[in-house]
Amino acid sequence: MIKENNIKLIFLSLSLLLIILIFFFPFFWIITSSFKSPEEIIATSTTIIPRSFTLEHYNKILFNSDFFIYLKNSLIVSFSSMIISIILSVSAAYGLHKLKFYGNKFVEYSLLVTYAFPGVILLVPIYLLFAKVNLLNSYFALIVVNVLFATPFAVWMLKAFFKLIPNEIEEAAYIDGASRYIVISRIIVPLAAPGIASVAIFCFIISWTEYLFASILISGDDLKTLPVGLAGIVGQYQIDWGFLLSGAVLASLPVILLFVFIGKYFVSGLTEGAVK
Amino acid sequence: MISVKKNNIEGWLFVSPLVIWISLIILVPIYIAFELSLFNVKIIGTSGKFVGIDNYIKLFGKSKFLNASLNSLYWIIGNAICQTFFAFTIALTINYKFPGKKIMANWIILSFIIPTVVVVVIWKLMLSSSSGVINSVLIDIGLLDEATGFFSSPNKAFISLVLINSWRWSPFLALIILSGLNSINREMYDASKVDGANFVQQFLFITFPNLKSVLFVLGLVGTLLSFNIFDIIWLITKGGPSSATTTLPLLIYETAFTKFRISQAATLSIVTSFLLLLFSIIFIKSMAPKEDD
Repeated sequence: MIKENNIKLIFLSLSLLLIILIFFFPFFWIITSSFKSPEEIIATSTTIIPRSFTLEHYNKILFNSDFFIYLKNSLIVSFSSMIISIILSVSAAYGLHKLKFYGNKFVEYSLLVTYAFPGVILLVPIYLLFAKVNLLNSYFALIVVNVLFATPFAVWMLKAFFKLIPNEIEEAAYIDGASRYIVISRIIVPLAAPGIASVAIFCFIISWTEYLFASILISGDDLKTLPVGLAGIVGQYQIDWGFLLSGAVLASLPVILLFVFIGKYFVSGLTEGAVK
Repeated sequence: MISVKKNNIEGWLFVSPLVIWISLIILVPIYIAFELSLFNVKIIGTSGKFVGIDNYIKLFGKSKFLNASLNSLYWIIGNAICQTFFAFTIALTINYKFPGKKIMANWIILSFIIPTVVVVVIWKLMLSSSSGVINSVLIDIGLLDEATGFFSSPNKAFISLVLINSWRWSPFLALIILSGLNSINREMYDASKVDGANFVQQFLFITFPNLKSVLFVLGLVGTLLSFNIFDIIWLITKGGPSSATTTLPLLIYETAFTKFRISQAATLSIVTSFLLLLFSIIFIKSMAPKEDD
């Protein structure tokens, strides 16, 4: 018994160390590097503890670049996508998991397939469609696509939360004469609030990180999102690392801030839902 | 109380906004792509002549198509192996009690919530051949004699990209696996312990079978998602060196937006959609867990 526990302890410590090194250290590295002098960033002898400290990269990106335009665009697109996604997916999840209707399994599996389906296969056709209906170069084009990416998985995430709500509560409300609308707004939505919060953050992340469609559907500089703006620096022949790193840190900051406040709902939404 | 018939109509009413949204944005474009694949259009917006199924016949004779399909296959397998390993390591570790467990469970997903472009920036810097920290650590501990270019040879580039992509996705998958682990009845472990089961046996006979439905979703969605990865590859290697990292998504993108062969790209999209659909149907038919509620 004791021996097995010791082995477990060794395994646990080893894997913890590995996880911290692989999944957390890179963040420490780019954050500290973004405050290093340009010479130190590209020096051949790398130093774990920074030797220099400078704010020049942040200065440059905040006051000498289009950062705020890209930030504004990303915020508009992500928030709109998030709100539309929540409405569509909560409604669909309610229909799928609370009202078992004929064909619900088919819809459920089709949604799972579409979740992964979009991507690059739809890129050319969607580009052509949007060109036809004059939607290229608009926020709406990106919102349409982001909702498509986010909702199928959102519905799947909500499943667990809706299943946790006992049917008896709903039935009792109907006996008392409540309408469907009252039941949804007063019972279902409040009880599924943690689930809706986790869906919200998922949709926001999907929209915030989307690069491919944003790079093709938007060509005007004034409508570009942060990932596209950043990718423009990555693609340059001579990369200005300090500039790029501070941009990367700033582009990650909004999702990280959001995560500080409602991240725990997202994680518990993913891990504690009774997925069956 | 609520009749079955009423449920049917109302159920469809609730799902229809989403179903309509998704169908419109998928089916209309697919139709346009199919139409285009029968013509010979080069630059977007120009017209071409009708060529029937010529594009399809030509496609299967192209070595580029074969090469990209094989790369996609290796890409899916490589990612499945790496991500399964990382995701299970993370999930099983976080499933234990240790100080800081909550913080780690919340923040392990950091690599998933940041933009892909940032993932690219992180690893381009860390793996840089001239000043990358990985190179200098590997040299310091004696594993390397001199700095290596992680993206310079076909094999190294491919493996590096698989690892980077797995780095991004594994924590997210780990949390989904964790949800499956949480739904397993603790008493089963206690009972098995009384019967003298060891750690490995517990994993094989309790943990794994109980994860079936979660693993089904991961197998389906994970495979399709891996297949779709574009930005990480494109932003790091652009499909090179010598097309070693050109998967089907990159080939479609290249054909449409750098070579301006829009009909060919549409043909590729249709064929690829068909292959993925076929995979999904077979996967669902053969692996879907039986609902027991």
